[in-house]
Amino acid sequence: MDNQFIFKYSCETFPKKWVKKMERSEHGNRSDTNTDYLFQLLCFLKLHTYTRVQVSIDICGVDHPSRKRRFEVVYNLLSTRYNSRIRVQTSADEVTRISPVVSIFPSAGRWEREVWDMFGVSSINHPDLRRISTDYGFEGHPLRKDLPLSGYVEVRYDDPEKRVVSEPIEMTQEFRYFDFASPWEQRSDG
Amino acid sequence: MNIPATEKDLMIVNMGPHHPSMHGVLRLIVTLDGEDVVDCEPILGYLHRGMEKIAENRTIIQYLPYVTRWDYLATMFTEAITVNGPEQLGNIQVPKRASYIRVIMLELSRIASHLLWLGPFMADIGAQTPFFYIFRERELVYDLFEAATGMRMMHNYFRIGGVAADLPYGWIDKCLDFCDYFLTGIVEYQKLITRNPIFLERVEGIGVIGGEEAINWGLSGPMLRASGIKWDLRKVDHYECYDEFDWEIQWQKEGDSLARYLVRISEMTESIKIIQQALEGIPGGPYENLEIRCFDREKDPEWNDFEYRFISKKPSPTFELPRQELYARIEAPKGELGIFLIGDQSGFPWRWKIRPPGFINLQILPQLVKRMKLADIMTILGSIDIIMGEVDR
Repeated sequence: MDNQFIFKYSCETFPKKWVKKMERSEHGNRSDTNTDYLFQLLCFLKLHTYTRVQVSIDICGVDHPSRKRRFEVVYNLLSTRYNSRIRVQTSADEVTRISPVVSIFPSAGRWEREVWDMFGVSSINHPDLRRISTDYGFEGHPLRKDLPLSGYVEVRYDDPEKRVVSEPIEMTQEFRYFDFASPWEQRSDG
Repeated sequence: MNIPATEKDLMIVNMGPHHPSMHGVLRLIVTLDGEDVVDCEPILGYLHRGMEKIAENRTIIQYLPYVTRWDYLATMFTEAITVNGPEQLGNIQVPKRASYIRVIMLELSRIASHLLWLGPFMADIGAQTPFFYIFRERELVYDLFEAATGMRMMHNYFRIGGVAADLPYGWIDKCLDFCDYFLTGIVEYQKLITRNPIFLERVEGIGVIGGEEAINWGLSGPMLRASGIKWDLRKVDHYECYDEFDWEIQWQKEGDSLARYLVRISEMTESIKIIQQALEGIPGGPYENLEIRCFDREKDPEWNDFEYRFISKKPSPTFELPRQELYARIEAPKGELGIFLIGDQSGFPWRWKIRPPGFINLQILPQLVKRMKLADIMTILGSIDIIMGEVDR
């Protein structure tokens, strides 16, 4: 479905120190890079005549708690000129700060805010780094794997105080984990 | 004439999260100088429901009811992409009939979404009548959906490998009748709206985006096509069976709100063309790839036996996503809807990232409203066509 043009070209022309690994699969091509060279790599991809990747489709973070550099920030890119997509990934841990790509791709502003809000991977010199999806005054970074699905606080409207308050969560039913081999098998405790 | 000197005191107005248009809960903090807008800051997050984190704890078939709540007006697209992702990961073939049914449902959903964009857009500008007219047509689409899928809006219809149930007897004729009726409906809208001088005053030249700028900001969908760029994922990606039909990409050159309106109206007509061709050419055959229904994990358990085959219509929850990652995309009526899916060798995905078109398209709003009047904000916001369910997820 995709054509592989950008990927092949960039395989040949990238300086060796920029790229840790380039992988090619039928589901999309990716290249892994180091956080120091991220900005240069994306600048190259955007401005070079034969790659012209002008659209940053998506920036997302992934959490792999078992790795040392647990977060991976994935940049999905598209070139409308050559009809080609490429994916660039870097890894970061909780304290690494990545460089913002807002000056290259203006649409990346909100995505980076979201990566900060959901994972805690911040950007140096980002023009506007605030929370975007979570509540005002929420503590924690929701999409990390160590925050449970139900969270730690629940909110309710408190009538005596006439406002919404946050309280530690109280679950009336235990957390159901759906992983059984067939839909008819019972859970172990019935 | 002597104009008295005014004080340069900027006024900050909060167009709060609740407001009477149908975009959803979007908060705009607008800085005004008299009636000219100096700056506008959208604040999102009021409808954030944690869809991505929930996806990490549900199998695909359990997650399907959640996805229709992202973009609740064009529900078939969200389901289509939820199902397309694992299908591409697992290289699952979809039978031809299922592909045709999916295309028909997707195009009907596109019409429904554009209709429900048109109503509130006109209502924000001030014309109340089209708001009622669109619901008349949308109710017909709901009836068709209810006959085929069982639900008016939040159909849980798409499955990995096909659709959940085949079309009922007589549905195709009803759908052809709807197509004929709808073409007269579109003509009515054109007569009422397109050459209306008040509408043109309000909408022409407002919110102009150039072609290069549109690509830089990552816009997609009708916003990009109205600025002169012929980019439609249905033609570019060759997915489902869109290649077998004869249709054209609708586009305009000017890039203002009027151009976006014209693109969407002509997309509706084009969708009717596609539906008519699909209905006339729909092949027979199975509507679902039944091999997905086998239980993979245990080798030949007793549940695969003949006696149990017809007990439940739900496929097995053990569709295991291989340990690969994939970005799947689809041309939703609002733009490019995508998911970035990383599978872990288990029933649950490891990371399910939703790329909503509204989130990206909304980023250009602060730039477009500078130096416009206060009343133009609603025109521009309406022409961007966002829905907060998918912006916030």
